[in-house]
Amino acid sequence: MAARLSILDLGKVLFRPNAVFEALAVEAPPVTQVLFRFALWLGLLPPVFACIGTLNFGWRLGVEPVFLPRETVIAISGAYFVALLFGFLSSAVIARWMAVTYDASQSLGRCFALMAIVGAPLAVGSVIHLYPHVFINVLVLVPALIWSMYLLYRGLPIVLRTGPNRGMLMASALIAYLLVAAVSLLGVTVALWGSGLGPRIGT
Amino acid sequence: MKLVSLHRRIERNSGLLIFGILVVSSIGGLVQVLPIVLGDAHGAPSAGLVVPSPLELEGRDIYIRESCSTCHSQQVRPLLAEVKRYGPYSRAGEFAYDRPFLWGSKRTGPDLARVGARYSDDWQRLHLLDPRSVVPASIMPAYPWLASRSADHGRTIQARMRALQSLGHPYTDEDIAAAPAALDDRTELDAVTAYLQSLGRSMQGEPQP
Amino acid sequence: MSTVFYQDRVVTAFTACAVFWAVLGMMAGVYVAAELVWPTIDFGQPALSFGRLRTLHTTLVLFGFGVSALIATAFYSVQRTSHVPLFAPRLAWFLLCAWQLAIVLGAASIMAGWNGGKEYAELEWPFDLAITVAWVAFAVVFFGTIARRKMESIYISNWFYGALIIVVAMLHIVNSLAMPATLGKSYSLFAGAQDAVVQWWYGHNAVGFLLTGGFLGMLYYFLPKHAEQPIWSYRLSIVAFWAFVYTYIWAGPHHLHYHSIPEWVQSLGMVMSLILLAPSWATMVNGIMTVSAASQKLRTDPALKFIVLSLAFYGLATFEGPMLAIKSVNVFSHFTEWTIGHVHSGALGWNALITFGTFYFLVPRLAGAPLYSARLANIHFWLALAGVMLYVLAMWGAGVSQGVLWLSLDELGEVRFSFNDVMAAMKPYYLLRFVAGLVFLAGAVLMAFNLARTFAGRRTIDVAPPGTHVAAGAST
Repeated sequence: MAARLSILDLGKVLFRPNAVFEALAVEAPPVTQVLFRFALWLGLLPPVFACIGTLNFGWRLGVEPVFLPRETVIAISGAYFVALLFGFLSSAVIARWMAVTYDASQSLGRCFALMAIVGAPLAVGSVIHLYPHVFINVLVLVPALIWSMYLLYRGLPIVLRTGPNRGMLMASALIAYLLVAAVSLLGVTVALWGSGLGPRIGT
Repeated sequence: MKLVSLHRRIERNSGLLIFGILVVSSIGGLVQVLPIVLGDAHGAPSAGLVVPSPLELEGRDIYIRESCSTCHSQQVRPLLAEVKRYGPYSRAGEFAYDRPFLWGSKRTGPDLARVGARYSDDWQRLHLLDPRSVVPASIMPAYPWLASRSADHGRTIQARMRALQSLGHPYTDEDIAAAPAALDDRTELDAVTAYLQSLGRSMQGEPQP
Repeated sequence: MSTVFYQDRVVTAFTACAVFWAVLGMMAGVYVAAELVWPTIDFGQPALSFGRLRTLHTTLVLFGFGVSALIATAFYSVQRTSHVPLFAPRLAWFLLCAWQLAIVLGAASIMAGWNGGKEYAELEWPFDLAITVAWVAFAVVFFGTIARRKMESIYISNWFYGALIIVVAMLHIVNSLAMPATLGKSYSLFAGAQDAVVQWWYGHNAVGFLLTGGFLGMLYYFLPKHAEQPIWSYRLSIVAFWAFVYTYIWAGPHHLHYHSIPEWVQSLGMVMSLILLAPSWATMVNGIMTVSAASQKLRTDPALKFIVLSLAFYGLATFEGPMLAIKSVNVFSHFTEWTIGHVHSGALGWNALITFGTFYFLVPRLAGAPLYSARLANIHFWLALAGVMLYVLAMWGAGVSQGVLWLSLDELGEVRFSFNDVMAAMKPYYLLRFVAGLVFLAGAVLMAFNLARTFAGRRTIDVAPPGTHVAAGAST
């Protein structure tokens, strides 16, 4: 099977990942192909769902729904997409940078493909953004996150051809980066809100 | 490299290592903590601050016993939303007689720094005995035993006041002698209610935002 | 069991205590998590009341589990890095008994309502004194072993354990200064704002030197041992150690942002917290690079997985900490569940995970027998990971919601949401956190079973430093 990752392969990626991993191990896909035929579409799902959900239902933090102006919602969704894209690109680049240490394949295309596959459960799970109740989203996305982490531990040794031991070590190092990136997003977001770029806050 | 060779000496001498750790770890405390502790700016009582009465002291000690600070803070921050919600922001001088300080680090329940006189005595009692009777969605535990225990049942109020007196609280010997009588026929519920009603009292003259 | 040369029976005893307190302390944690969802499950009993049980939880996990694990691994590693048996082994046994007795009696005292009122220092003055005496015993045994060492240099893990001993002693003594009134009640020497500054100098550095420094000692010994590689960079470890010891002490005031303490103290605390990121991460990098050099032939056993993943959470926690110390983030996070999430990403993700990994490595060696079930350990790994992620994400969701909602103003500039409404909105997160705790606890119980079965299969083996003659048939 050719390592041509396409968004149409999403089902296979989620439910028969081994086949996809092995194909990627054999042949590294071109970066542009992964980006434009897979990752970009995957990355569009959460912001689009979030935009639709927020416009219809407002942000629900467990009290009365917070409705934001249409322009704000679109702007936030755009920012969300940019953040996701940045996260995806940066984690692939970081993986490539780590590859030297772990004797892994230094193919950027493989790193991109791996990170996109790892993000797939979260992207699909983001359908829950259609109802932007924070708790419900946490409830759905945490299992999706565990699934993503499992795909990382499972897929990295195969796709980047490290073997099981180095693969586990490298995957853990990547998780460190991803956790830090996630919490940074939280911090930057609230800091921006506090300085006026967001909901009206009385600090 | 000179530093590396210096370090090799430290690594070969447990005494030097211990000494080094002690010195290096002391610096922060000496610069940051000691001046605050020795100076008066953050320890002097604010004007109008009254030392807790025996009943209020008993109430405070029960508050500590039940670990109320786990869920309730006592520190209003100088933030607009906070001042709107709770009242004037907290000043250091209000806490001069707080041993230990009870600012807390978590608000599972609301801040209590200005809860004094916000609710009636009856409300406080009902709420302590069964929070859900006045706040249906409350997750606060109930404290029914406060009503059945007499205040200072261990008869230690004088020892406690003497200890505080030795630490500088302005209790006179007459205050201490009269304390047990003040707690006669009072329950722990009375004590905690009195304590809560005293919170923020020294700032009650302040204009509201 | 390991034999004549090293004093390992006391190590085994401390390890067993650590596992016991881990399970008990986490059970207390799960119970209080449940009380936040179902507040009447204290059944009107003072001893089961949330305030007391939460204090029980923190005391058991920090001082029961954490300290026992640190002493166990400190005693194991200091002998082997010094090539001598433990100095004053009878004092080590005294320490074991004294410490466990203090925890048992201390736990009972907390449930009875003895409470000093300061976080992570709630045990009253008789216990403060007892702990001090026990800690002196710890110092004597540990530094005595180092003083007697046959190796010329003191290995780096011992610097960290040493810093743990010295700095925690200093913090404990100063913060516990109090005037006793009765056997079970004392009043802090410091009051109000001054007490706050002292308390968080203590509290933050208890995290710094107990939860961070001590466990870094564990890391610096067990990770290279496991990976069969030396530490990646000796120079980096020197710089990181001293920068760590110096910088951590200053970070305490980040617990007091926007509180009635001087501005300069708050700002200094914030800046030093940010600077702290460097030595913290330098150590993490050292660990990651050390293990990455491990031979391909090294078996990926569950122990290694735990230790390596713990480094990822160490990275998270030591990044999130400085981030939360920034005033513009702290304004949202302070007093919310976000802080709790941060605590547990560190306590579960870093401390618990590295201890679990270390115990999976250590207990087979102490027992002279292989781990009873690697499969159970692997299941534990996924339970632990799932438990932590669920916990952290539930608390991030809850905490950010609280922070935002509390500060939200309406068009008229008044507070938009009542406290009670926000509190009610937290309930589903509390339920999720309870489930997360159950999952994590389940994994810990599996580990307790696994280690107990491993130990049941123990044999006597000969362990001694290279070149030492060991008398046949002698026993510890």
